Amino acid sequence: MNDATNDRPEPIVKVDFRFRRELARKVEGNLANYCYQCGACVGDCAATLYSDRFNPREIMLKVLYGLEEELLTEDSVLWLCTNCYACHERCPQQVKPVEVIISMKNMLADRGIYPPPVAGIIETFEQTGRTVKLGPAIDKQRAKYGLPPMEPVPMDEIAALLTADDADEEVG
Amino acid sequence: MQRFAFFPGCLIPARYPAMEYAIRQTLPRLDIELVDLEGASCCPDPIYFKSKDKVAWLAVAARNLTLAEEQGLDVVTNCSGCTATLSETYHLLQDEELRERVNKRLARIGRRYEGTSRVRHIVTLVRDVAGYDMVRQSVVRPLEGLKMAIHYGCHLLKPSKVMEVDDPNNPSVMENLVEALGASPVRHKNWYLCCGKACQDEDLPAEMMRDLLTTVRDEQADILCLICPTCFSQFDVGQHRVARKYDEDFHTPPVYFFSLLAFCQGVDYDMLGFERHRFKPERLKDFAEIKEQVGGTPAD
Repeated sequence: MNDATNDRPEPIVKVDFRFRRELARKVEGNLANYCYQCGACVGDCAATLYSDRFNPREIMLKVLYGLEEELLTEDSVLWLCTNCYACHERCPQQVKPVEVIISMKNMLADRGIYPPPVAGIIETFEQTGRTVKLGPAIDKQRAKYGLPPMEPVPMDEIAALLTADDADEEVG
Repeated sequence: MQRFAFFPGCLIPARYPAMEYAIRQTLPRLDIELVDLEGASCCPDPIYFKSKDKVAWLAVAARNLTLAEEQGLDVVTNCSGCTATLSETYHLLQDEELRERVNKRLARIGRRYEGTSRVRHIVTLVRDVAGYDMVRQSVVRPLEGLKMAIHYGCHLLKPSKVMEVDDPNNPSVMENLVEALGASPVRHKNWYLCCGKACQDEDLPAEMMRDLLTTVRDEQADILCLICPTCFSQFDVGQHRVARKYDEDFHTPPVYFFSLLAFCQGVDYDMLGFERHRFKPERLKDFAEIKEQVGGTPAD
């Protein structure tokens, strides 16, 4: 008997609280805590309808367990989300699964992981303050409609806003 | 005339300037004046940059809102993505702690976000400030007999508490606007689907768009009316790709609502940028002569 009690099996799943704490520091990253796994988010999910890999209820469950190795991968399933916001609309617990997913994309970004097309658009924004590249061709097109050339964005202001919070604020 | 701070975003002015032209042509006829904002940046987009750093995304969005606050005006956006970013920022920054965090960043550039300018999507302006009757009265080329499928897109409607545009389960604003143009709106079976632009996968958005375009074709719609420039690019360039991938012909020209409104108000077909569309709304040409024929008098 004693032997048996000493020889307890390992728990099936260990909750990774380190992952969950990191996620909770993101804006609206802690909302998954309120998820009671009802699955209301699944019925209207456009990505679930078209992919066996993507299921917002499962993703929220993995968040609750803190399964980083299944969520934050190079080929992360999170990028299948269409950002349609149906889950946000449906969730009775106001978990906003899409926002939790975006918070995890922030964690992917902290680890330097982006799908290449996404990285390109972010780079364009950080360099020019716009997500669409400008050039003489577009100004010529605008001139046809009597529209002035595109104005450059004051990048000194934008750049100042992009750097992390001061030490006492930014925890993550 | 009511005045609003105009936030055109990136996609419309820098890729589809004809849409910006259409907006600037149509709104004054509806007694709405647009005031340009100097120094605006990308909203920033609610898909890509938001995925990198939500706090920086909020800070840049809040900076854009301060430009309107300086003018003492509400913001009007013509892109559902910009509306999503700016409306969400407005709502999130009602949280004092988060607002202070963002304001600490804004203090670096001598700005402060107060939350005094509300964000309005352009269709709510047309619906609530002008009204459907005024739209109808501004039409000199009613599109009688034209069947128009509508793609609401996701961000115009959801999350409804943030966007505050219409009932996401049974919206009516676009149907009413299309009717005000004299056309017949049709709600196809897959109206609720997404354009798929944000999804970083090859097959998923293609299959979704194939299903959507198939139901639009089933309704024999002449035009797919859109209200979001991102959806537009998906249904223009994207439709071309999907049609090739599945070897199908959906022949459904997507048109931005304000291009249709401009045309109906008498703007020349050749000034609406259709020559750059993959699928051209040639059916509109059937109505181009009407203005001359009826001498510009409004329809009874």
